[in-house]
Amino acid sequence: MSSTGENRSSNSTRDSKANISSSRLRKELMDLVMGRDKGISACPVDDTFFKWIATIDGPNDTVYENLKFKLSLKFTTQYPYVPPNIKFISPCYHPNIDSSGNICLDILKDKWTASYDVRSVLLSIQSLLGEPNLDDPLDPEAAANWKKSDFKKIMLMHHAKGEKKSTQ
Amino acid sequence: MFDLSLSLIEGNLFLKYNHHHCCLDYHRFTITMPNTEPEEATRENRESNDGSFECNICLDTAKDAVVSMCGHLFCWPCLYQWLETKPQRQVCPVCKALISRDKVTPIYGRGSSRRDPRDTLPPRPPGQRTEPEPHPSTSFPGFGFGDGGFHMSFGIGAFPFGYFSSTIFNFSDNRPAPSPSNPDYLEDALLSKMFFFVAMILLFYLLVA
Repeated sequence: MSSTGENRSSNSTRDSKANISSSRLRKELMDLVMGRDKGISACPVDDTFFKWIATIDGPNDTVYENLKFKLSLKFTTQYPYVPPNIKFISPCYHPNIDSSGNICLDILKDKWTASYDVRSVLLSIQSLLGEPNLDDPLDPEAAANWKKSDFKKIMLMHHAKGEKKSTQ
Repeated sequence: MFDLSLSLIEGNLFLKYNHHHCCLDYHRFTITMPNTEPEEATRENRESNDGSFECNICLDTAKDAVVSMCGHLFCWPCLYQWLETKPQRQVCPVCKALISRDKVTPIYGRGSSRRDPRDTLPPRPPGQRTEPEPHPSTSFPGFGFGDGGFHMSFGIGAFPFGYFSSTIFNFSDNRPAPSPSNPDYLEDALLSKMFFFVAMILLFYLLVA
């Protein structure tokens, strides 16, 4: 009696987990569409809703102004209890982003909570662009160059090089 | 090469390009939708109708709702899952305040008791309710803190007034009455009757003598 109860409960937990992730991702897409946030957009790339592509506009009054960055978001059935895997597809020369596009941001790791969503994460990444955390750099060279007056020049050079590489 | 698709999700149309261009301008697209209300009205409607009672985790209307001490609403299964995911760091997903199983209050809407609670695993923590204090002004500290009403030593030595005084003190005790199924309670009830009987005999004896 009790063992069947446990089976049923574990099955229903597994089902509800997958249901929660996909129905939540659907709602998030709706909210993104209705919310009309400036400078961020995201969209699933397949019917499962577990892979998304997002774009972030470089924030105004920063060196990244007028640049567009493309990111990939990968979700699991554990979402929203575990954070999505987010990477820059576009090259981004930044103290907290490495050359493969990995992002060092606390809310994508240990500070993640289940009420963060695609929208809040994209906005956080957008603000990270303008306000890097220089104490914990993922790209020490970029961190060392951040305060230099010609950072924008160096960054644009990297950007152009990366774009070229990605189109080849 | 050019792959364009339309999909209907929850009554809204989405336009999908070949995935390089799928992040198209939604803004313009949503405005051209036939059923789209003006932006302000839509937002207000959404907020007043659904926003207030949506679970902060699944973003759906909260089922088996619980509310944290910090005031954030969740479905109990959603919050339980979150607490299980991070057993060493149990914080509110919204405001990161400390949160735990015992610190959330279930919300019972009208008619929700029809649902079999065993269908919703794990069960929600029960609501906490405190009995109102019967006579706060007459409460007498120092008596009645034992776990089974008054004790035997009260009545025997202090003939017969000791019994009454202890009874009075016991009555003014502000604890809730012990459960009738408790064996201590039955024993005490029996003792109480016995003492009352003995006291009556003695009183009668005194009056007669």
